[in-house]
Amino acid sequence: MTNYKVTGSVMLLAGFMSTAAQAEVVVEWWDFLGGGDGVRMKQLIEEFNAEHAGEISIQATTLEWGVPFYTKVQTSVAVGEAPDIMTYHASRIPLAVSQNVLSEITADDWATMGLGEGDFASATWDAVTIDSAQYAVPLDTHPIVLYYNKELLSAAGVLTDDGVPMGMDSLEGFTETMRALQSNGVKFPLGSVTADGNFMFRTIYSLVGQQGGELITDGEFLTGDNAEKLANALAVLQDWTNEGLQSTYTDYPATVALFTSGEAAMMINGVWEVPTMTDLNAAGNLFEWGAVELPMIFDQRATYADSHSFAIPAGDMDPETRAATLEVMSWMLKNSLFWATAGHIPAYAPVTATAEYAAMEPNATYSPLTDNMIFDPKSPLAGVAGPIFDVMSTYFVPTLNGEMDPTEAVEEIIIELNDM
Amino acid sequence: MLRNTRRETLVALVLIAPFLAIYGLTFVYPTVAMVNLSFTDAPLIGPGQWVGFDNYTRLAGERRFDTAFWNTAYFVALSVIPGTFVAMVIALGVSRLTGRMQALVLALFFLPYILPVSVVYRLWDWTLNFQFGIAMYVFDIWGIERVPIFKTTTWFMPAVAFVTIWWTCGFSILLFLAGLRAIPAEIYEAASLDNTGRWTMFRRITWPLLWPVTALVTTIQLILQLKIFDQVYLFSTGGRPNDNLVLVYYIFQRAFVNNQGGRAAAIAVVLFLIVVIVSVLNFQLMRLAERRK
Repeated sequence: MTNYKVTGSVMLLAGFMSTAAQAEVVVEWWDFLGGGDGVRMKQLIEEFNAEHAGEISIQATTLEWGVPFYTKVQTSVAVGEAPDIMTYHASRIPLAVSQNVLSEITADDWATMGLGEGDFASATWDAVTIDSAQYAVPLDTHPIVLYYNKELLSAAGVLTDDGVPMGMDSLEGFTETMRALQSNGVKFPLGSVTADGNFMFRTIYSLVGQQGGELITDGEFLTGDNAEKLANALAVLQDWTNEGLQSTYTDYPATVALFTSGEAAMMINGVWEVPTMTDLNAAGNLFEWGAVELPMIFDQRATYADSHSFAIPAGDMDPETRAATLEVMSWMLKNSLFWATAGHIPAYAPVTATAEYAAMEPNATYSPLTDNMIFDPKSPLAGVAGPIFDVMSTYFVPTLNGEMDPTEAVEEIIIELNDM
Repeated sequence: MLRNTRRETLVALVLIAPFLAIYGLTFVYPTVAMVNLSFTDAPLIGPGQWVGFDNYTRLAGERRFDTAFWNTAYFVALSVIPGTFVAMVIALGVSRLTGRMQALVLALFFLPYILPVSVVYRLWDWTLNFQFGIAMYVFDIWGIERVPIFKTTTWFMPAVAFVTIWWTCGFSILLFLAGLRAIPAEIYEAASLDNTGRWTMFRRITWPLLWPVTALVTTIQLILQLKIFDQVYLFSTGGRPNDNLVLVYYIFQRAFVNNQGGRAAAIAVVLFLIVVIVSVLNFQLMRLAERRK
């Protein structure tokens, strides 16, 4: 604390002295990082500001994730009140480009930042590229994982000697694990966000991917047997509900609470909840826990992932501010090892190649999944909180809670997707 | 004394000019612009191409418009008359009290009205949340099965209507109280001299004399509840907004989520017409009923 105060006053002093010679460039920053990862991002921003005192200062605002954030971005760009830099989901970039919301990151910009294609995994680079132009700088990839309560699993005899859940390689195996937990008195073997179709898109899309299915083929929705694959994925989840293996009508905060309170033994959620668990555990308020790649329910491994990236909104920007913004992005990527403590997998390859990263837990346990990551289809209709997300989510909730038949849900989804 | 009517007209014009200017700028102009917009394929911000009645004709076959329309109608049915009734009953009760006691009870009933909608949402989510709501633990004690109130379409609208009545009836109670106080006490005295029963007194005196206030309250409620948005938006976040869609929510979705300003404007015009027609009809019906008495 005292340290901060000292740095603060030094910064203030430096600020006063330098105003005459050179004004500090203020970079206005918007993000949607409200959870445990937001706390880490604020720390990174503070470090950046301390290191760039007198030159650049980030003025950060955290807004609500999802539709509210992207709505605000769109309107602010339209009226010329956008920030200088904002976090953006790579999956939303096709939509953003079609709406002219983003400013291109040019070859010169990349050179200024000292970054380039070679620093990123090809899938990640591809996710921010539209028609061979880049519109954002990837910060991380964030897949969903399976969180588990080691104490409950061990008590039910379904924890391996390596400390991971048993039955991770088949539907039968995983269902058996859940049944064992259930007969051992666990209220919900699996905590699922069954009230929020938007959230469940990630799990369901992973299960479709595990059958090699895709949502859009040549611009058509769910062609051929892809519809059947979606129905299969929904049927598996509905069976779990019918057997009482997963929590029903549960919203996002309640799901996390069910898991952290020990009422649910496992939970499928994004890696962004890693800091929540780490912090609770460090404070002595959480059991021993772990996180692994999703179980292989169908024939191949596949996990949904998206990427947080930095983007510059479209519109006029003076050269100094743009240079400062590029410096912010470059610095954040090069210091993204700390961002990995938020559970995310840094996109900047030199960071993930370090020994420190390789030793980091639980990241090391689930990082093999990076080979099996699938991203959203590249379409202006796709992306988090986008139109496809929205349409499909409408029918996920009734299906997952046993109100609607999976095949009927798929028929309705196809009708409404084609209705857009 | 001779009156200079021309001069008077001029003064009148000058006096109402500021109001007219503001009214024109903030109401008439945007309304006309919105109607114009509804005939184009404009995005949220910026101009669009003229598309005629396309935005309107496609509403007819749209599932979401259908859902939004019927949900709004259902919500109005669940909230306007019951809300008015509840407020009247409470007002009748409160009017029997006197002095400090009356002030206290009135304040208690009025309290929810001053809460912002976000607080109302938090309170009721804490109470009715399926996993952690206080009411659910009470259900458990009584052996009643838990109900995911805000997550099923069966319970969502009735629950939101209930919360809305709880939240807003304070204002209607005030209106009814004012109406009750305006009824001269002599009428009741005269009636009691004639040995009139309590029910007859209500039916023959209170109800007809309170009628103008009742008409006012239902009309205000009707307009307000047709424009329902906040509660539905908040209670369906993290749930199933598309099943609980109401008209204003649908306008929001088209305009701000799907970036379709033209289509959103068309829904807004439809809602505008519905509000005008329904409220005029309601008021006229109420007046007719009054005359019959």
